[in-house]
Amino acid sequence: MRAVSLWRKQPFSLACRCCSRTFVADSASKLQIFDRQRKRAQRDRAAWFSPAQDPLLHSVSQNLVDRLQDCKKTFPTALCLGGSLQPIVSSLSTPPVNGGVEKLIVMDASYDMVQACRNTRRASSDNAVKTEFLVADEEFLPIKESSVDLVVSCLGLHWTNDLPGAMIQSRLALKPDGLFLAAILGGETLKELRIACTLAQMEREGGISPRVSPLAQVRDAGNLLTRAGFTLPGVDVDEYIVKYESALELIEHLRAMGETNALSQMNNILKRDTALATAAIYDSMFSSEDGTVPATFQVIYMTGWREHSSQQKAKRRGSATVSFKDIQKQFGSQS
Amino acid sequence: MVRGSKEVLQKAAKTLSDILVCPLSKQPLRYCEESNSLISDAIGVAFPIKNGVPCLVPRDGKILEEEDASKPDNDAN
Repeated sequence: MRAVSLWRKQPFSLACRCCSRTFVADSASKLQIFDRQRKRAQRDRAAWFSPAQDPLLHSVSQNLVDRLQDCKKTFPTALCLGGSLQPIVSSLSTPPVNGGVEKLIVMDASYDMVQACRNTRRASSDNAVKTEFLVADEEFLPIKESSVDLVVSCLGLHWTNDLPGAMIQSRLALKPDGLFLAAILGGETLKELRIACTLAQMEREGGISPRVSPLAQVRDAGNLLTRAGFTLPGVDVDEYIVKYESALELIEHLRAMGETNALSQMNNILKRDTALATAAIYDSMFSSEDGTVPATFQVIYMTGWREHSSQQKAKRRGSATVSFKDIQKQFGSQS
Repeated sequence: MVRGSKEVLQKAAKTLSDILVCPLSKQPLRYCEESNSLISDAIGVAFPIKNGVPCLVPRDGKILEEEDASKPDNDAN
């Protein structure tokens, strides 16, 4: 709707027409899985509710930032894409600064989230890292080509409709030999809740509708990095099991993180007894001896570099000087 | 005091605008002091700067009125 009005209002210039026409085609052909506007509203709410220190988000962001210590390179300009913003910004900007970050651009789709982050940043006294704030959408990255050394995304990219597109845009924003570092939630996340929701809905409503979002699988992550054109891709997985008093606390936590369902075709009605049945099923199926219920969070960490001539590469095909047969002759007898 | 802090904010938005481009067309943005917004001439959309924070989500952009938008278009026709 919006795109059409853009096109109608600008009938004069040729350049404009081309631009908006591709925009129309893009938005029509793209499959909209997630409601980005709803996600924005949820992230606004998360900005008001989120506690100062969330242990899960803190450990994920620490884990992500630790990866910078393994790099010899320094990253003067860093871009932080949306997601769990506050923990990643505080771990990137509190001294000792990992990875030699001097300038940090903080970006999120939710204005309130950015504002909350800015207030905490102002309250802290250290000014070692210059921070800039920006409200933007990961799917439409407004960053000039080859202008940043590092792109970090902490638990935000799994909500994009076009994940490969968002990753390609981040790659273009990177300088050559720049690093892309992302953590997304993987398919095993909240499997207990998924099972409990399905069972409760079948029992109470006689049918199911998706209550938990589809998420990327581990095997997809490597393909995504390669498809987006990153070199030296690396993927690893971590599973965190968080224990809650009951399923209701789990939902509260998801709200505070802004990780609640935002499917564009989701069923907006959740009956009270279905919700309570879900909690009861969750409790009876998964509760441990100490009375808590566990929830799995699978985090996929992805690293990729923008192409540069200094990086190691596979040799050209047919350039080998030693035959594999000779190698086998040399070493094969030992095994 | 208020004016001073406002200038600082504008400065911050300006330094940031070196690396910012239009999110849709990836063309450079122009800073407009009068409306305190970043304007993408390529598609004729103004993105507001709220409190020194540029808002570049496509949905936040306002389509410019004809007379404003036609200015850069004159030479194209």
